[in-house]
This record gives sequence, C-alpha cells and structure tokens, in this order.
Amino acid sequence: MPISAQEDIVRAICSDKWDGQRLSPSLFVGKNISVSRLAIVPLDDHWEMFRSHVEKPPERRLERIAEINVGKLQTIGGEQAPSVHLTVEPKPEVWNQAHAEIPQNITRGLANKILPQLKFHERPKSL
Amino acid sequence: MNTLVASQATADDRWPEATYRLSEALQERTRSDSVHRPAPDEAEFEDLLFRKLGRRGWGRVLQFRKYYTPGWGTGVEKPLSPKALGGFSRFLGQVAFPKDKEPSVFLTDRGGLEVVWEDANSKSIQLEFTSSGVEFYHEAKDEEGFIRFEEIPSLVGRIATL
Repeated sequence: MPISAQEDIVRAICSDKWDGQRLSPSLFVGKNISVSRLAIVPLDDHWEMFRSHVEKPPERRLERIAEINVGKLQTIGGEQAPSVHLTVEPKPEVWNQAHAEIPQNITRGLANKILPQLKFHERPKSL
Repeated sequence: MNTLVASQATADDRWPEATYRLSEALQERTRSDSVHRPAPDEAEFEDLLFRKLGRRGWGRVLQFRKYYTPGWGTGVEKPLSPKALGGFSRFLGQVAFPKDKEPSVFLTDRGGLEVVWEDANSKSIQLEFTSSGVEFYHEAKDEEGFIRFEEIPSLVGRIATL
C-alpha cells in the first residue's frame, strides 16, 4: 500500500551525483527510485545508516540528503504533461526498515521539475 | 581453475602412458585475455577531458573509470559503460562549451556519463551518454529525447546554436 501523502521522504546524494556545483538530474530519473521514510527513521539517524551502506568505493562520499514531501511529489507528477501518478511504496530492507521506492518511470523532464523542489540537508561536520 | 584430465589407459598397459588434454574451461579464452590495457591514445583522451571539462571534470571521469567498479554504491548500480565512454569521447572531440560555463559530469546508476551545463540564457542542457546512445534534455524548451551515437555531429550542431 502506498505511503501517505503527508509523509516526507529522503534520498542520499553522493559524490557521483554532486560535484560541489551542480546536482545530477539523474538522481530522480528512472524506475524504482530508492528513498527512505522520515516517519520511520529520523533524519539524524539516516546519515550514519546511509554512510555505511552507500559509500562504496570509499571515493564515493555521502555529500547531502535531499528531502521532499510525498504529496508535493505527487502534485509535480500530476502537473507534468502527460501527467504521472507518482506513488511511494514501502520496501523495507535489512539495513533500512524505512526503505521505499517510487515504482513509476520518472523521465528526465519530470526529474527536472522535482529537483528544484528538494530541500537539502548538508552533511554534518562531525561525520 | 587449471585442471588436467588424464585419459583412461587401456587395460593391458603396464605403465600406461597418460595423455592429457585441457579441460573445457581451459580451452576457452581466459580472463587474462580481456585485461584492460590503456589505449595508445589514452594520453590524448585525458588531454581532451582536461581541455573540455576542466580539472574538476577530468578528475571525476578518471575516478569513475578507476574506482567505480562492479558493485559500487548499493550494489545494483552499473560501472561506466565503455560504449557510453566512447560516445562521450566522440562528443567531446566536436563540442565547444561556452567559455564561462564549465560543465559538470556525473556517473549515472545505469553506467552512463551525464554532462550538464547552461546555455546563454542560463537554461540547463543535459546529455546522458548510455550504452546505446544519448539522452538529451533542454530546459528552455522542456524538450527531451534520445539519439543514436551516429547522430552526435547533428547534436553538436544543434547545441552550437543554443
């Protein structure tokens, strides 16, 4: 069952998708985009969880975390021509019980509408 | 694994002379045959990367090639496609980026190389070189599409007019 439009989801941004100046639009292009639910795991706990799972090779650094509201995501999809009904489906994994996926295909054009709506969290200096 | 297989000796041979033949696995091309060797024009390619992408982009492409091996990221991401890299190289050899708009380069999860910069009106131009062709997007017209590698010259021509 899709998660509520009230929920907020996050996606890890690593150095292959962020060069210090621009964000890769491919971050949200394609099917089954992996996201994580803040209702299950708080943002502060995502940093270490993401770090331990995605920083491979070591040169791939977790740089930022992008956040968006599910309802906002669905509004963007609905405004696209042709409209796309975006959903977020829970897909818990051993390493992340908050894991979820966006099953629909997100085109590059639609991804470019999503990116400006993301809220970015910078990597804590303590990490 | 290297194994030797002895053929069955005849029954009346006191000291059967063992004959050996290679197991099937050894009759096939070995992994070492496919070891990547830098192409003779590797230095030229790196020079091209540096001239067109700047130090940042040059370093990133080298890093994607060297360190992002199968299993990178969460494990489902694909390493950089040689075909994508070949198409990207052809494109770089022909394109002229705006002087004050140094492009960004990214590795996509499907093993493509994505290059992003802005046109004269600060609208985003995006290309992703994949194993089968080039996906493009131009923010000014909200236009996206896909071309084959053979169409790169016409793509470069269009970009020059933006």
